[in-house]
Amino acid sequence: MNAIEIRNLTKNFGPKQALSGLNMTVPQGVIYGFIGENGSGKSTTEKIICGLIHESGGSVKLYGKPHTDADVRAKIGVLIEAPGCFSSYSVWNNMKLQAANLGIKNADEEIIKVLKLVRMEGAASNKYKNCSLGMKQRIGIAMALLGNPTLLVLDEPINGLDADGMRIMREVLVDITKNGCTVVVSSHILSELEKIATHYGIVRGGKMLCEMTAEELEASCRTYVALKAQDTNRAKMILGCKYSRVEEDEAGYIRVYDMTTPEEIVTHLYENGILVSEIKTDKIGLEEYYIDLMKEGKR
Amino acid sequence: METKIERNTFGKRLGSMLKVDFRRMFTMPLIYIVLAACLVAPILITVMVTMMEGSVTVNPQTGAESVMEGFDSAWQIIGTVSGEASADAAAGMSMDITTMCNINMLYFAIAALVCIFVSADFRSGYAKNLFTVRAKKTDYVISKTLVCFVGGALMIFAFFIGSLLGGAISGLPFDMVGFGVFELIMCILSKMILVSVFVPIYLIMSVVGKQRLWLSLILSFMVGMFLFMMIPMLTPLNSGIMNVVLCLTGGALFGVGLGAISNTVLKKTALV
Repeated sequence: MNAIEIRNLTKNFGPKQALSGLNMTVPQGVIYGFIGENGSGKSTTEKIICGLIHESGGSVKLYGKPHTDADVRAKIGVLIEAPGCFSSYSVWNNMKLQAANLGIKNADEEIIKVLKLVRMEGAASNKYKNCSLGMKQRIGIAMALLGNPTLLVLDEPINGLDADGMRIMREVLVDITKNGCTVVVSSHILSELEKIATHYGIVRGGKMLCEMTAEELEASCRTYVALKAQDTNRAKMILGCKYSRVEEDEAGYIRVYDMTTPEEIVTHLYENGILVSEIKTDKIGLEEYYIDLMKEGKR
Repeated sequence: METKIERNTFGKRLGSMLKVDFRRMFTMPLIYIVLAACLVAPILITVMVTMMEGSVTVNPQTGAESVMEGFDSAWQIIGTVSGEASADAAAGMSMDITTMCNINMLYFAIAALVCIFVSADFRSGYAKNLFTVRAKKTDYVISKTLVCFVGGALMIFAFFIGSLLGGAISGLPFDMVGFGVFELIMCILSKMILVSVFVPIYLIMSVVGKQRLWLSLILSFMVGMFLFMMIPMLTPLNSGIMNVVLCLTGGALFGVGLGAISNTVLKKTALV
């Protein structure tokens, strides 16, 4: 049974259609990277899953049951936008409130457990307003983890975090899935998402463009040959005449995406009087795959 | 270690939510500031009005002189004996300071308490956490109504205590004309129970406004104004059990009816 199964989901905000027949399947126990441009419908989908806004049409099933089912809803942990804490309260007191709302009997033990999981056990007595952004995000995750949820929905949890904060968050998310928890995480920082996600869903214009596993993404990410030559412009022109896709990247490398070998390219340039100073083969990452997909979509 | 979660029944849910809401209400500084203000305001009003009693002010345009009226008794700030208010109104005296600055003003202050308390849930994102997991909208409405009712009733009681202190400090007579101790207790009880009529109104406005506190406040003051005139009529100083029963009935009807509307508003609108 899938953790989430969404079929033909639609959502209208007045005349604006935010979601137009979105389908989504999230298997249990995975980290599902939910990717899309601003306004593509990621947050709207997540809010519908969590019951914070109502869908205009379509169906949302969690563990095979409608998402409005009270028993199913009790299995969800959520961090959407802000963690939902009172700023004048301490981290501990905020956690206590949430534990009471969830009806957790052994609240103190549970709070300690989740705070340890998010590496926040030392900050329990801190006032929430005095916590850094990274700490607040982790507190939000800790709150979402209270009650032992089997599905965690996180909206942009790594936004605004520094490198260390991102690393901790990454570790936390991986630790969570070790207990069999399913995590749906949306983010714009694709390079970070790539390090943890096992499944991906790419959404655009309120529709799911594609869903794939990390392995499928790996297989579909093309290899390319990157090189540096004496005369970059001329090299680009010469390669452009022979190969269908030649681009220069931000680091000044000329990239040839066609199926070819470095030897063939070096030989071709040498025959045209250009010496290659550096050459390597590489694969495009999630970010480039996503950008390509978006360009194709626009075309 | 296994997570122990209590059964997801209405009683358990409401119990845990009430626990949280009471804890929130009585750990936030606002309630203590408001209660302190309710205690101090009648003292200040009675002392100042008594000090200014008899002073003559002249209208610079018309040259008309007016003499500042003072309180006749310590109970005047709590209310009037039924019939007095209408008689005063007929005589065109209803807008002086002694009739304006009384306990009935608190029903507006209660609007502020309810709006701030509820909008904090939405502004902080706490409501979002609440509704995603276990809580139902009905539980939320019931819990908020009860907690705000208790907060409001305490405000009324604090004002009453402040009035007694103010009366004593100002040297106002405590003569009970047209009512007795029992009637006075019934009057205060009616006023406290009458809070349950106003709280559901303010709660609707708060869930309509959600994180927009200004909107909740404006709507609450506007709608509260319509019911403001009934307060002296329903809760005169010579109140009896009937007044208490009337206020209780009103509170129950408003609580259930308007609570259902609040519930629908929460169900039909986005929570973020």
